[in-house]
Amino acid sequence: MNQHPRLSGKPGRALRCTVLGIVMAAVTGCGHDQDLLHKSQLLAMGTLVDISIWTRDDGLAQRAIATVTQELNDAEHRWHAWRPSPLTEINSKIAAGQPATVDALTRDLIKKSQILASASDNLFNPTIGKLIEVWGFHTDDRPDVPPPAQDQIDALLANAPAMADLHIDGDHVTSTNRHVQLDFGGIAKGYAVDLAVDKIRKLGVRNAIVDAGGDLRAIGSHGDRPWRIGIRNPRGPGVIASLEARGDESIFTSGDYERYFIYKGKRYHHIIDPRTGYPSTGATSATVIHSDAATADAAATALIVAGPKKWRAVAKSMGLKYVMLVDSKGTVYMTPAMAKRIKFQIEPPPKVIVAQP
Amino acid sequence: MMTRADKVVVALAVTALPLLYNTFWGSSTQGDTVRIFMPGQPPALVSLDRDREVTVKGPLGPSTLQIKDGKVRFVSSPCRNKLCIHSGWLSRGGEFAACLPNRISIVVLAQEQRYDAINF
Repeated sequence: MNQHPRLSGKPGRALRCTVLGIVMAAVTGCGHDQDLLHKSQLLAMGTLVDISIWTRDDGLAQRAIATVTQELNDAEHRWHAWRPSPLTEINSKIAAGQPATVDALTRDLIKKSQILASASDNLFNPTIGKLIEVWGFHTDDRPDVPPPAQDQIDALLANAPAMADLHIDGDHVTSTNRHVQLDFGGIAKGYAVDLAVDKIRKLGVRNAIVDAGGDLRAIGSHGDRPWRIGIRNPRGPGVIASLEARGDESIFTSGDYERYFIYKGKRYHHIIDPRTGYPSTGATSATVIHSDAATADAAATALIVAGPKKWRAVAKSMGLKYVMLVDSKGTVYMTPAMAKRIKFQIEPPPKVIVAQP
Repeated sequence: MMTRADKVVVALAVTALPLLYNTFWGSSTQGDTVRIFMPGQPPALVSLDRDREVTVKGPLGPSTLQIKDGKVRFVSSPCRNKLCIHSGWLSRGGEFAACLPNRISIVVLAQEQRYDAINF
């Protein structure tokens, strides 16, 4: 019974309880946190989509996951560039020189694409579907055939399709250029993520990430800390840099490693430069943070095409504050605002050039 | 004064804290499990602690995954471009590879992932 004085005499017990308390908090606290994180994955829009919802309301999380799934599947169906879809229907009408009927969402997507194409000096050009097709990227599994011949590319470039060729009148769209073939590969994912996030917000979701194959919009936070985002290293394993999402932000990266084929030892990636008709050169990845996922998506596409020489002009004309570009030598170019938020995760850190747009 | 029991508890706690800290908040991202997504079936969880090969059936045919030394990779798949195989070894939480033509994808899970999402 000589323990009594000590038990009531506190120092030992107090210390013991405190330390045990910390340990218990460490264990139970995290377990509890993980219960609030609801994750789901699906294949949609040609990629793996990750949905994270942070909420105490399990039912809300399930409804939100179902809503995002529905929105992205709808978008895939509506804007699929090669399987029969309302978009391939529109493309057939344009090729035939006829007006095409468009639904309200497609009309809005066309208008938005026109603004972004113009702001990017047509480096974001969703009318070059034919070029993308001859490169063999209009299949899920490209056959092992050579890249297109130069004269074929030249002929397609001479047609000079542009978003400005399209004219919307009510629920119809007409084109003054029959060679316009819409392929929204550089914006549809972002646009669909915006639609999905708007919908789940209306359901009452405050904290979520909708991550469509590495391009994402994050709202709110992960409990009491911000959402942490890693940016993949374009030339190597793992993550090149990390950043924290603030409130409501879309973070999009275009990379030359995402889709590609190798023919006779040479690598050809899927982002076609509308000026040359060939896969873009110079930059290996471009990352953009913007409030709007559709804009971030189109801007990342335009910037990787622009490359290290022209990215600043494009960032300026598109009004972008946060841009990071990695070139083929691994040098990183950033806007000052982006440089303040990026934490490099590779050793040694890369050579960095910070420049105003 | 502390009893022997106090000392043992404090010593254990002090020893355990860095470990727990590292486990729950640390930068260790070594994955321990791979989640395999396949068409028409719920995802499968396979531990990375035992070396083995796992064959998964997709619409194009079987894809084979190899698990070795806590890492996982695609070793064969009936797709044309083999992007899944080019993805190479995955070992950290959140890393993933997919064979989209065969509708099979894998993601490595870690106890506490360092990132909520990987942008690429």
